[in-house]
Amino acid sequence: MEFAELIKTPRVDGVVLHRPFMPTVEGTLCLTGHHLILSSRQDNTEELWLLHSNIDSIEKRFVGSLGSIIVKCKDLRVIQLDIPGMEECLNIASSVEALSTLDSVSLMYPFFYRPMFEVIEDGWNLFLPQDTFKDLESMTDEWRLSEVNKDFSLCPTYPPLVAVPKHIDDDVLKKVATFRHGGRFPVLSYYHKKNGMVMMRAGQPLTGTNGRRCKEDEKLINATLRPGKRGYIIDTRTINVAQQAKARGGGIESEGNYPQWRRIHKGIERYNVLQESLIKLVEACNDQSHSMDRWLSKLEASNWQTHVKEILTTACLAAQCIDREGASVLVHGTEGTDSTLQVTSLAQIILDPTCRTIKGFQGLVEREWLQAGHPFQQRCAQSAYSNSKPRQEAPVFLLFLDCVWQILRQFPCSFEFNEAFLVLLFEHTYASQFGTFLGNSAAEKTRLCLREKTVSLWSWVNRPQELERLTNPLYEANSLVIWPSVAPQSLLLWEGVFLRWNRSSKCLDEAYDEMVHIIEYNKELQTKVNSLRRQLAQLETEDPLLRTP
Amino acid sequence: MEFSEHIKTANVEDVELRQPLQPPSRGTLCITGHHLLFSDREADTSRHLLLLLRNIDAIEKSVENLLGYPGFLSKAGHSERMTGSSGTITIKCKDLRVLQFDIPGMEQCLNIAHSIETLSCLDNVSEMYPFFYRPTELRLQYHWGLLAPEQHYNQTKELHKRWRLSSVNQDYSVCSSYPPAVIVPKSISDETLKKAAKFRQGGRFPVLCYYHRKNGMVIMRSSQPLVGANRKRCKEDELLLQAVIDGSDKGYIIDTRSSQQVQQARMTGGGFESKSCYSGWKRLHKQMERGKALQESLIKLVEACGDESQNMDRWLSKLENSKWLSHVQTALSTAGLLAECVERDGHSALVHGYEGTDCSLLISTLAQLIMDPSCRTLEGFLSLLEREWIQAGHPFQQRCAHSAYSHTRLQQESPVFLLLLDCVWQLWRQFPLALGFSEALLLRLATEVYASDYGTFLCNSDQERCALGVKDATHCLFQALLKPTEREVYLNPLYELNQLAIWPSVHPQSLQLWRGFFLRWTQQARHLEEVQQEIRNMVNEWVRVTQSDATTIQ
Repeated sequence: MEFAELIKTPRVDGVVLHRPFMPTVEGTLCLTGHHLILSSRQDNTEELWLLHSNIDSIEKRFVGSLGSIIVKCKDLRVIQLDIPGMEECLNIASSVEALSTLDSVSLMYPFFYRPMFEVIEDGWNLFLPQDTFKDLESMTDEWRLSEVNKDFSLCPTYPPLVAVPKHIDDDVLKKVATFRHGGRFPVLSYYHKKNGMVMMRAGQPLTGTNGRRCKEDEKLINATLRPGKRGYIIDTRTINVAQQAKARGGGIESEGNYPQWRRIHKGIERYNVLQESLIKLVEACNDQSHSMDRWLSKLEASNWQTHVKEILTTACLAAQCIDREGASVLVHGTEGTDSTLQVTSLAQIILDPTCRTIKGFQGLVEREWLQAGHPFQQRCAQSAYSNSKPRQEAPVFLLFLDCVWQILRQFPCSFEFNEAFLVLLFEHTYASQFGTFLGNSAAEKTRLCLREKTVSLWSWVNRPQELERLTNPLYEANSLVIWPSVAPQSLLLWEGVFLRWNRSSKCLDEAYDEMVHIIEYNKELQTKVNSLRRQLAQLETEDPLLRTP
Repeated sequence: MEFSEHIKTANVEDVELRQPLQPPSRGTLCITGHHLLFSDREADTSRHLLLLLRNIDAIEKSVENLLGYPGFLSKAGHSERMTGSSGTITIKCKDLRVLQFDIPGMEQCLNIAHSIETLSCLDNVSEMYPFFYRPTELRLQYHWGLLAPEQHYNQTKELHKRWRLSSVNQDYSVCSSYPPAVIVPKSISDETLKKAAKFRQGGRFPVLCYYHRKNGMVIMRSSQPLVGANRKRCKEDELLLQAVIDGSDKGYIIDTRSSQQVQQARMTGGGFESKSCYSGWKRLHKQMERGKALQESLIKLVEACGDESQNMDRWLSKLENSKWLSHVQTALSTAGLLAECVERDGHSALVHGYEGTDCSLLISTLAQLIMDPSCRTLEGFLSLLEREWIQAGHPFQQRCAHSAYSHTRLQQESPVFLLLLDCVWQLWRQFPLALGFSEALLLRLATEVYASDYGTFLCNSDQERCALGVKDATHCLFQALLKPTEREVYLNPLYELNQLAIWPSVHPQSLQLWRGFFLRWTQQARHLEEVQQEIRNMVNEWVRVTQSDATTIQ
């Protein structure tokens, strides 16, 4: 298919663009296969380059022959384009609608994008499982890297290489995979260096109504326990939901078959509930009425903050079991691709200082989300403004980022990255020129040849000029475990995402720049003083007269 | 009266103190006439807690006799039995801190509790601590206060053409809550002022509180006119207001009550400026909550902040029910309206509600912060508070007698000043570069206004302060805050002079709970304090380094 077929009017002059908190711009509107571009053709005015895939929904309005298109984006921005001429307006609208909802992955922009920057470090090679495993090997010899899923046949959502207990062979793994939802047998997610405890993740066990059991599964997870020690299974579903799952073939690890494990149930919401929560929250944030009561009730009714709190609480629980109780942990919900990953990745942020660095956080996203098979494409196909029926959309990753932001806010010196980095990741999960978040699993990524045909987001981020913007000036490496407060009073609405376009950020940006400036100047002066002190010391030794007052 | 009469047990050993954010510690508890003192046993960590008894809002005690002998008090040989008993005193402070003391010995515990109860609510002003506070580095001969009304007038040269300083209230006979000197239109005589004062509640006739240099417009404030049910009018009051807008086409009256409320006020002798009598003035009504409603709002909010149920919905509905953020929003938007009248519309304005000692001051202060960059420095802000709150007669003693934890029946308590500080914090948050002072200053003021070593917030008016000799026998907080050693903490390191008006967003989404104050004693606030400390250190280091740099080069 040619994009040109979908573009009836490729350019219109005299279009006026309205953006929140920015002056209006008049210029020429151009449609390309992947972008909506508005250019004023004056040097000093900013142009608009909007990826079609960033567009969540559009509305048309007509007053006489002047048409307006209201474009609502997945990054929650709303812009308006006034287009002279009814026909042009209709053409533009229908083209944008068609181009923003293309289903075919291989037509997406990352496959056409050629980097305009020099790639210093190829992001695709940065976080290979074999390299990550080398770090693990330096700490323990109790684990091995298995190639049992080399061709994705055992578990389509797992990467080709996974870390499993050393004494469990591939045949056992094959049997366990048939007993776990989606073939997601328990694999290593995190090794806690301090006490050697581990966190594993999996899909739910397929016990069904008649309590099927799998000796190999029991053997596998028991292999991670120290003699005489008990472990914890954190089930991200309430006990009721977990019991009901039996009727559909799923289930729980019963006490009888897993006597060395204690099960804890926590209710983290899934899919549509989360998506609806996001829709309600964004609607509340855009509410123009000036009533404080209305805003607070809408915020409450959206339940978003409750979800943030539940996820953080569960992650703290997992971290507590490992660090304070000195026990190993297995985390799962139903499929093990959503709430499970929220919990395992947040627990690592709490426990492991490496995950709080820029590279470390990229590695965490790579390990616990991209390679662990979070279906980004399904979850992020639509955002809060879409009018089409939601299918498998859910802001699971956005909630994870929100939770990270809450911790970052509570520990402002413990993270090497700043809020801008989290916002950037949010944007790129929904629309991007990079291939990183395409596909739903490692298998799909391989099939799409992303590594060969697209650029990695990390290749772009890990350049000095980008890193500078994303670095937290207050960062001081903190090797401790950080325990966030999860009291409802301590959790805030993430303004940087949800109120980003409803307020002018000019003053806040200025303050941030000023702070960075002071810190840099401070460093500069310190170097200067040091060199002057050295000079003085040298002069004193050379000239004895200086020593006498 | 001697304080010692109230102190039966002055010293208790082996007391355990539990306070937020710190591990429990064991030590000695002492009660003096004005303080509660706790000192830690351990020599290396030696921690002290010095708490003004005045800071204590409520005290709860629970005693238990571990040996199970009830009713054995004051009998012979009781000391032996008492060793097994103990009590716990929970102290809830006006700065919202909650402390617990485990005290061995039931009798000692009861004695301590009784002393605290009595001494924390003495209401004789001249017995309060500021009259006894004598730090070595301050001398009482220092001038009390920052800027007297006379100095303020003399410094503002632009005023002199159309405005004069009147000493009609020299002996506080015209208006007991005004300072001795006030600024009024030049063309209005003292006789006219005296008559206008009779027509305003509490004698608070319209006076100038702000001159907008950019366009020569002014903000006036007063109390409500005493129109009453039979529509009384007062030529002199009309004349006075006419003189304010002389040469301009109109002025605005911002009434902090709803139009219904002002109609009802007529039944009780109050009222409003009618269109027919004050033809040049346009009235705008903005209803603001006051008095008891505000105090209850604070109590509900503090209760919500202390809720430990871990339930998000419950927290958000309690926050909503407290209405505190709505009050913040109304205050800011009314101040915004006032500033708009003066700055954007280019007209003078008069602000009042009922007494003119609460909401009117809140609004005029905020409007000045919005419009006038000279109010946004540390000195400027403290002078503004002195002018608009201390001199203008906000009844601090009545309003701040109790805070959110008190069990006593409310009288005239109301957290108007705290609401002001919250609104200023909202401004500070939206314009992090525009204000020259830090959040630490707002927190310090929020504590000092309820319990202080200084005399600044004592009494209800200038007259009372003079009568009790506050200005001669106590130290001034504002001067202390400006001392070189103190001020460093209260400066905003990011401050940059901004000549423009700063218009706050009053969308509900833009306003936030002032966590630094309301959740000050919880875990998360501590980390934020650490960051602020970090930034302060960095700036101080910067100053030090540049200085040592300069000397080295010389």
